Amino acid sequence: MKLDIGGSETIPAPVDALWVALNDPAVLIRCIPGCKSMTETSPDAYKVEMQLRVAAVGGSFEGAISLSDKDAPKSCNIQVSGSGSLGHGNGTARFDLEPEGDGTKLTYKGNGEIGGLVAGVGQRILMSVSKHLIGRFFVALRKEFEASASKGVA
Amino acid sequence: MTAHPPRLKFVSSNRRVREDRRFVVGQGRYVADIVVDEMLHVAIVPSQHPAARIVSIDTSQALTMPGVVYALTGEELAKAVDPLMNGLDTPKVRRYPLAVGQVRYAGEWVVAVVAESRAQAEDAIEKVRIEYEPLPYVIDAEEAITAASAKVHPEHGTNVLLDRTFVWGEVDRHFAESPRHLKFQVKWGRNSTVPIETFGVVAKWDPWREMLDVWASIQMPKYPDQISRALRIPANNVRVHHDVDVGGSYGVKRGIKQTVLVSHLSRIIGRPVRLIEDRLENMRAGDAHGPERLFDVEVAFNDRGIVKSMKMRALDNVGAYAGRSPFQLGKPIGAIVGPYKIESVQYRAIATLSNKAAQEAVRGFGQSPTNYAIETAIDKVAGALGLDRIEVRRRNFIRSDEFPYLIPSGTHYDSGDYHTVVDKVLRHADYDALVRERDALRASGMMAGIGIAACLEPSGGNSSFEPLLNEKNTTTTWMDSCRINIDGVGFVTVAIHTTSSGQGHETLAATVVGEVLEIDPDKIRIVRPDSLASLPSNTPVGSRMAIMMGGACYHAAQKLKSKLTQIAAHQFGVAENDAVYAQGNVTDPRSGKTLSWIDLVNIGHRQYHALPPGMDPGLETTHVMQVPTATKLPEDGRVQMYPCHSFEFHLVLVAFDPEIAKPQIRRYVIGHDCGTVINPHIVKGMTLGGIAHGLGATLLEEFVYDDEGQILTQTFMDYLLPSSHEMPDVEIVHHCTPSPFTVFGQKGSGESGYLGAPAAISGAINDAVSSLGISFSRLPIRIAAISDAIAAADKIKKG
Repeated sequence: MKLDIGGSETIPAPVDALWVALNDPAVLIRCIPGCKSMTETSPDAYKVEMQLRVAAVGGSFEGAISLSDKDAPKSCNIQVSGSGSLGHGNGTARFDLEPEGDGTKLTYKGNGEIGGLVAGVGQRILMSVSKHLIGRFFVALRKEFEASASKGVA
Repeated sequence: MTAHPPRLKFVSSNRRVREDRRFVVGQGRYVADIVVDEMLHVAIVPSQHPAARIVSIDTSQALTMPGVVYALTGEELAKAVDPLMNGLDTPKVRRYPLAVGQVRYAGEWVVAVVAESRAQAEDAIEKVRIEYEPLPYVIDAEEAITAASAKVHPEHGTNVLLDRTFVWGEVDRHFAESPRHLKFQVKWGRNSTVPIETFGVVAKWDPWREMLDVWASIQMPKYPDQISRALRIPANNVRVHHDVDVGGSYGVKRGIKQTVLVSHLSRIIGRPVRLIEDRLENMRAGDAHGPERLFDVEVAFNDRGIVKSMKMRALDNVGAYAGRSPFQLGKPIGAIVGPYKIESVQYRAIATLSNKAAQEAVRGFGQSPTNYAIETAIDKVAGALGLDRIEVRRRNFIRSDEFPYLIPSGTHYDSGDYHTVVDKVLRHADYDALVRERDALRASGMMAGIGIAACLEPSGGNSSFEPLLNEKNTTTTWMDSCRINIDGVGFVTVAIHTTSSGQGHETLAATVVGEVLEIDPDKIRIVRPDSLASLPSNTPVGSRMAIMMGGACYHAAQKLKSKLTQIAAHQFGVAENDAVYAQGNVTDPRSGKTLSWIDLVNIGHRQYHALPPGMDPGLETTHVMQVPTATKLPEDGRVQMYPCHSFEFHLVLVAFDPEIAKPQIRRYVIGHDCGTVINPHIVKGMTLGGIAHGLGATLLEEFVYDDEGQILTQTFMDYLLPSSHEMPDVEIVHHCTPSPFTVFGQKGSGESGYLGAPAAISGAINDAVSSLGISFSRLPIRIAAISDAIAAADKIKKG
């Protein structure tokens, strides 16, 4: 099934700092829900391992993430593909960063295709699950900067 | 054919179904209850793509998981087994239990992992790594038959498995002469029977005895033969155990790919192997899917509503492999005009491959979709003329004095009295009051409609559609058998030679033999020998067992009764005809002498010297029964399909709120004529279950694929089944028109209810929304579809 995602979030960090964070595997492992590991296979290309639950089904994914068309620190494209016992998926998305007050507005837009068990069993809730997972990503990302800000004060 | 016994003591009487005792106390013996020492378990890796080349399969990690014994790929399996049987002559559409080289539908089985427990096997399948290269795919049937579509089996050259046009009678002339024509399209969604028990099989290969033992939840014709052929072993090395209870089927327990898979695994591993599908395996790639059919229908009729001729194009999406499923377009040829005197028919049957799960047989073998199309035509004829729908049916019905009635496609209908059944139903239901009730509901703001369906259940199944659709097939028999033995102590044992999936065959056999021998059926033992000890029989398909097994039991019992009578007559010194058999004893009315059952048993088993000269000792008889009326191969596209034709007339009142649009069945009356009923409880159960099944097909059930070829309905969260909330009280009005072709006048009833319920319920919904100028032409008619259509119609009205 096809899946379209899109939206924007404001992150309490300057554009440059956010750009660096989004290119840091260590940060991404902490922020991507279920992400167990992320190994660089070539510049801007990573192998990832994830453990996820969607509705009644749970399982592990192995996948690849690559970044392209980078225009630091403003925009980049991200390609994601993966498969596992739950199913398979692939998609592309574009990120745009622009300053907004003290922080940065991150706008994303993308689409993907999902197959296998997760498409069948999870289809009725896949949209809300993907929104939920994206939400968790941004919550974690904001925490990254709140944590470093509080460290800075101390 | 056979004179009916003057009085029936057990047949048609209110006797309990003997199988029910063990089922209701939880003492059935299903395949999951079969535990064999050293048994291994299988879990399956499914395809996640509708079509893809298998680039590589890596099972190395899976093989290191706890308890894992083996991992089998399609490539390895295909070297050791032959492709599964196709019904049509389509040798390049090869099907193996596991995908070979390429996957052809999402969910297709790719790798089988064998472990000490099912849980261990399931854990290990997550570790199998498969690299795919996606290929083009096709989901829609109309698209699949175009030249440009992706080919499911490129070697076959086209997706079309069958495209055959039959013309029976003067269709062109009848259309030219008829003042009125109308045409329409209806679609039957892909649904099924969905038994509670998924398919399961245990196979054990014993190399020292060269014997493959199989226990399975099976309802597959020629099952041992197919196992033997696929595994390339002699058929007398295959022993299928028939004493396994089957937890529901109605066609779908085909199980051949599963059986070949586990049999092969047992052979190479050297231990018994069991596969019991979980619901996911079953729903996406077990034998769970039934017909999915698009009908284009055109009828020629006159101002009185008399339908003279019909053109029907039926396009069936059979999914990724052939199997027997295209034959489901052939069976309805035996009742292609329904209960009507339509004089000529053009029928184009197209079966196409697609990247969906392979279709299998479902109750009625294609008849229920066809009945839905025919009944929609009759409703539309009535609508076009502003005539009453029941009156139009009456005008077109074959009259009771016209039987046996030859329909244009070559089948003689045996008997029927359709007008009387309709009269009885209308009287029982108080039709005028029902119309008033509908109108009162409408006046109160509800949507309300009455649905009507009159249709036939062809029964006594032989397989005349096989030679009709495949010239290389010369099958003209679809026999069934019975063996009866009276032991040395005088007890009676009857052997039947198939599994049963809830049809009550033990009750049937005992009732018939008890009737003929005039002994208490409850004292008769019924056994099911394994396939190697069985007489030639076919599986309980085609609504055939009352006719065929009932017939075989009847004739075997008659032979036994005759033998007992001959033994006694010999003692009396009279001719067989002068001795009288009654309740197991034989009397010579002239001398007044009587020999009791025990006397006769003694002679038969111990006193050869007292037997008539030339008679074999023992008290055992067999009968192999040919399907009544089945005598020859098809000629000019015409054939006698099934021997008997049960009739059902449905009358339904449906109401729903225009905004919520959840149809509620307020009244359901069915008139049912299946000739002489052998056990009323079994027939009633069949009819109620069939109506529930039809209700599901009409309102709820569908195996849905998205545009990307993914199956969206893999669990009961999305594949909706009718429950007691949806199922109404059903009032059954009985009528009995005996068949002249069967021993007691019985006809089939295994598909009753299901064959007319979709036409009736959809007709009621269309009647309910007719005032809005809309109608539904696609099953299932979901709640959302109804409310959306009403909302759209309201919008147009309000402008």
